[in-house]
Amino acid sequence: MRTVTFIEAINEAMKEEMERDEKVYVIGEDIGIYGGVFKATRGLQSLFGPMRVIDSPLSENLIVGSSVGAAAMGLRPVPEIQFSDFITPGMDQIIQQAAKLRYRSGGSFSVPLVIRVCCGGEVGGGLYHSQINEAWFVHCPGLVVIAPAFPYDAKGLLKAAIRDENPCIYFEHKKLYRSIKQEIPDTDFTVPLGKAEIKRKGKDVTIVAYMLMVHKSLEAAEKLAKEGIECEVIDMRTLLPIDKETILESVKKTGRAIIVQEAPKTGGVAGEISSIITEEAFEYLDAPIKRVTAPDTPPIPFSPPLEHFWMPNADKIIKAVKETMAY
Amino acid sequence: MPVNTKVASKAKEKLSAPFSAEEGKKLYYYLLKTRTVDEANRKFFRQGKLLGTYFSAVGQEATTVVPTFLSRPTDAIGPSHREIGCSITRGIPLKFMLAHLMAKRTGMDKGKCHPCHYGGFEYRIITPASTMAAQTVVVTGCALAFKIRGEDNIGLGFFGEGATAQAGWHEAMNFAGVQKLPIVYICQNNLWAESVPARLQAAITDYSDRAKAYGFPGITIDGNDVVQVYVTAKEAIARARRGEGPTMIECKTYRWYGHSEIDPADYRPKDELEGWKKKDPLPRFEKYLMEQGMLTPADKTKMVADIEKELEEAFEFADKSPLPAPEEALEDVYAPGTFEDWVKGWLK
Repeated sequence: MRTVTFIEAINEAMKEEMERDEKVYVIGEDIGIYGGVFKATRGLQSLFGPMRVIDSPLSENLIVGSSVGAAAMGLRPVPEIQFSDFITPGMDQIIQQAAKLRYRSGGSFSVPLVIRVCCGGEVGGGLYHSQINEAWFVHCPGLVVIAPAFPYDAKGLLKAAIRDENPCIYFEHKKLYRSIKQEIPDTDFTVPLGKAEIKRKGKDVTIVAYMLMVHKSLEAAEKLAKEGIECEVIDMRTLLPIDKETILESVKKTGRAIIVQEAPKTGGVAGEISSIITEEAFEYLDAPIKRVTAPDTPPIPFSPPLEHFWMPNADKIIKAVKETMAY
Repeated sequence: MPVNTKVASKAKEKLSAPFSAEEGKKLYYYLLKTRTVDEANRKFFRQGKLLGTYFSAVGQEATTVVPTFLSRPTDAIGPSHREIGCSITRGIPLKFMLAHLMAKRTGMDKGKCHPCHYGGFEYRIITPASTMAAQTVVVTGCALAFKIRGEDNIGLGFFGEGATAQAGWHEAMNFAGVQKLPIVYICQNNLWAESVPARLQAAITDYSDRAKAYGFPGITIDGNDVVQVYVTAKEAIARARRGEGPTMIECKTYRWYGHSEIDPADYRPKDELEGWKKKDPLPRFEKYLMEQGMLTPADKTKMVADIEKELEEAFEFADKSPLPAPEEALEDVYAPGTFEDWVKGWLK
């Protein structure tokens, strides 16, 4: 066992998979010579050369689209989108090509690629370096949408995604890159796609979250435990396909549910989870489901007081839990 | 090949043929087959046998059949929706193509996609999406895969002149130039992007001029001259296979009918079509082959009979094939053995 940061876990996963399988390559902006703006691909080009660690032009459509073509020919590309804010020029290739090529070819083509996307706020990134837009992709069947919160899961999920036959989008919250450390095994391991995990057991209320919000939820749960409220915290880990069973089993036990999402409220993952609980566990609920989310404004305003006001945090979660408990 | 060379349209009848008699005959067979099947499909559509719509490529056959004829089965093809010639020449059985047009379970896409979106991994033809230039980006990725692996396969990217206005197209061309990818881009300039004339699509006359900006050769040819397409595509393919990078070939051509069968194409001047029909690639090539002594009327009669027979059997196969069962809509979303139960969970 050894302790690694979130970004070290990601770097190790790519390195190990590239060593294991020569079909794996990475492509993106500033990822080769520079090692990535956050250093996720540090050292890879010197190990694997410029044709497996490709510095691309400023071309997100090409980064994704060429990966679709290479994947269709049997390679396993791991394209990087430097900031989720910059994914829009690549949307056509993600939505129309990556997600649909298998379906539209009657299952003839496989598109085994993993699009790594750096996202999220609380780092003062401003309106164009903080966006949190996972919901766009959750509405796109054919994709697997991955959103880890811990280094162990980050590494295991990335390795599983690279080995998977489906097109995956893998979100990396930049606030977690260096703020979270964890012990991980030295041996090869993967984490199954499509499976949530309970990160803290509790009997009073279920909190469902992902990425940075898992940590905010655990912080809230810690404080609430001192007041005698035991929260069960579920880390979604994969957002599409969604792991209904883990959520429903927990809610059936606690009878109360809070869903925490960093993104704006309307049309997001939290609404989807809320609908699942309402449809499939309504009679178990002792209180209405609550969502703790950002407001419905473009994500995420720049100035510190604006960003602080905007971001969901432990205090907002604690308030929601108390309201739910008091219902 | 010098950058941005313009080759004037010029009859080559006097020169010796750049191919053997056997090759010339085979090439004619694929052109004739493409034309025959395409016209038959239009008829089937009007008879109500096909679903949705139908995109005819009549008039443009040389631009798709010839480069595909010159390719290897392991070369990747990124077609658009008017590339029936690629599919026929690469060898997708007619019965599967007809079944696809009838939205039957036995079509290559099992009734999922959209008419004339032929493809399949076994043919190395990327089943197209309808967002035009997106295919150019994807086939550029196929060429990248070949380069990463060190294989001498190439990509063939087909698009209309209209698609060259899209951002993704530029990104693909730029990257192919930077990486010297093994790919040949074939622009079918048929003068109309659905209903929008060339003068409203770009401020240039020859789209091959665009290649100059990406640092590789662009060449404009008469896309209805089979011999010229053959010579140009052969050199471009060889160049790509040698690792010398991409070439863009602009083929000036014309689609005889509307964008699809539901489009009367009444936006075009009446005499324009008549002018282009005189440049029909098929009789031109037929005359050439006969003058070269490579094709006889008897050869042609046999080819027509063979094609008609195959078409008849293909139609019968497709017509008798079942439509998909409704729940088959839930299949092929994810890879076999992954998340199938999750997709089917919707039924509950």
